[in-house]
Parts: sequence; structure tokens; C-alpha cells
Amino acid sequence: MAAGETDRVSEDAPVTEELVKDEGYWVERAQDGDVAAFEVLYRANIDRVYALCLRMTANVAEAEDCSQDAFIQAWQQLSKFRGDSAFATWLHRVAVNSVLGRMRKARRERDRVEAVFDISPFTESIGDDAEFQDLEKAMDSLPDGARHVFVLNAVYGYSHDETGAMLGIAAGTSKAQLHRARRLLAEQLQTQSGAA
Amino acid sequence: MNDSKETAENRASDEAPRDALMAAAASLPKEIKPGRDLWPGIEQKLHHARAGAWKGRGPFNSLFAQAAAVLLVIGASSGLTYFAVKDDGSRVSPVVTDVARVFEPVSGSFGSRYNLGPDFQDARDSLAARLEVEMQKLSPESRAEVQQSLDTIHSAIVEINKALADEPDNVLLQDLLLRTYHNELALMQKVGGIRNSAMRRTDI
Repeated sequence: MAAGETDRVSEDAPVTEELVKDEGYWVERAQDGDVAAFEVLYRANIDRVYALCLRMTANVAEAEDCSQDAFIQAWQQLSKFRGDSAFATWLHRVAVNSVLGRMRKARRERDRVEAVFDISPFTESIGDDAEFQDLEKAMDSLPDGARHVFVLNAVYGYSHDETGAMLGIAAGTSKAQLHRARRLLAEQLQTQSGAA
Repeated sequence: MNDSKETAENRASDEAPRDALMAAAASLPKEIKPGRDLWPGIEQKLHHARAGAWKGRGPFNSLFAQAAAVLLVIGASSGLTYFAVKDDGSRVSPVVTDVARVFEPVSGSFGSRYNLGPDFQDARDSLAARLEVEMQKLSPESRAEVQQSLDTIHSAIVEINKALADEPDNVLLQDLLLRTYHNELALMQKVGGIRNSAMRRTDI
């Protein structure tokens, strides 16, 4: 991740009173097997992890499962976290792996397109901004590969190298998928505005 | 030339909304609250999750139990080796002993998928009964040695089962438990004079 992008991800991490004390303190305690300390880390990061999972899967139920998986994997791999990056950044990558792992496992298409907007907390949390909702809805309609690249690159600001590394694709493929996503989104948004 | 100019203009007009699109995407909220609290489900799974590498840095009791189990198994194996190489000349006439050997039913578990089968328990009971008879034929000294080895093995089984209760899917512990039962059976067979083992752990 580029320096600026690292800062961006870590700055976006939610800040709680406990975490202000010292994130490293809670991580260390969790690494020693303290579940309560891990819960502090969960509370501080769940909204961010869930947002990523929801955008990657475009399915509320899948996003909940992926979020849970991400934290379980994080707990199991906590000894590998050396503190080289912010915990939120490391957790983000674990969450991406969790999403990809689950999607590889179950490749079947699900009833995902409208599901996101059927759940009130999601629409409430992104506000009433029609532009946001249109864009989120258009992103849901993207093919998986294009959506994953668009979410990581355009929404979360990862470079093509980082996006490719996380998704297991070449940087060039990431660029091509982003180009495809932008084209499809532009068409979709034009259609939506035309229909409106 | 006109064509290329037109194409460039079209591309430019296409790029403008796409840049706006990227800007809009970057400004999307980075946090979304789940519709329900996911922690209870996570917490439940954490307790049942397979022991990861970090567990080695975790509570000492689990580590201690594993280390103790390993040592006990090594001790049991040493005892078994001793009897395996010992001359059968130690056998003497039956003597009466007031030391009761009670073989408790085993309740070992091999993870969440395997449990000891009834065939294993039946065969073990049979061997235990035979051992009782054969033990009477040993000298007090040999009998004490056999008993000591059996006690060591049983202690190992208890310790491993305690550790497995906390980590039912720990492969190391499962393997240790298997080896410990194998040692127990091998010792019982040896003392019982069974040359051809009919005991194979195919029932789990």
C-alpha cells in the first residue's frame, strides 16, 4: 500500500475510547488469548469490516458471515500480526481474504441484487443521499471481478498492485477490470437517471 | 482526422463522468453498521475454533497439559520398551495381591468427528481381564513395574483428555491420545502374552 493510502485506511478506522488508550495494548492482550480484549478490537473495527464485506459480496447475509469469518480468522492469525501496519489495515486484508475464500467456496449466484436495499440499517447508514444509493445499487449489479476491483481501488483507494495482490490477479488485470467497472457503472447510472 | 477528433471528444466526454464516478466512489462511507450484533456468534466460534499458531502463546494450562502429556507418553513408551526387551524368565508362580487394578471405561475423544467406538472398549475390557490373570503370574517386582507403567499411561490419557476438552480439534493432542492408547494396548498384550495383535485402531 502506498504511504498516503496507508494513512487513509488507518485514519478511517473508527476510534473508540478504549482504542485511544493504545491499540497495541489490546492487540497484545488478544494475542495472549484474552477474548475480552479481542472484543474491544471487534467493536472498534466491525463497521469498517462489514462495509467492505457488504460491498464485496453485495449480499447482507453473506456480508455478515464474511465479517464473522474475518474476525475468527484474525483471532487465529493474530500471532502473525507484527504491528508493521495499523491493525485496521491488517484486518482489512484478512476480511478481503475471507470474502474471496467464501466466494470461491460457493460460486453460485445468490439473490443479492435487491437484498442490500431490503435491509433498513444499510440504507440508513449511508444517509439519504440519492447519488450514494444509486452508485451503491449500480455497484451491486457489477460482475464479481469488476466489483471487487472497483471496491478496493475506487472506494478504498488501494493501488492496482495492492488490489491485484489481494485478489490474486495481475496489476494489469486489475486495471482492465476497473476500466470495465467504470464503463458498466457509467452505463448503469445513465440508465438510472434516464429512467428517473 | 475528423474521425479521430470526434473520437477524442467522445472519449473526453466519457472520461468526465467517469472521473466524477471515481470521486463519488471514494467519498462513499467507509463504515456501515451491521443490522445485528455479530459478536455473540464470533465469540461462540472462537471457543470452538481450531487451535491456531497463536495458541502456543496462550494460557499456560493448555501448553502445560500438552507438554505434560508428551512427557507422560514418552515415559509410558519407555516402560513399554523395557517390558518388550525384558526376558520372560521373570514369570513366577501366581501370587495373591491385594492391589486392585480398576480399568475405568475410556471416554477419549478424537476431535469433533471421532469418538472411541464400542468395539474398541470391548477389546480393551477383554485385554484388561486377561491382564488381571497374567499379572498374578508375575513376580511382585515385575508386577509393580507393570503397574507403574500402566499408571503412567493412564495419567497421560487423563491429561490429554483434559487438554482435548479445551481443544477438541488439536491434531497433536489427538495423535498423542492415539499413541497413548496404543501404548496401553501394547503393554497389556505384552504382559498378557498375546503375540499376534488383534487390536487395530480401525474403529475410530
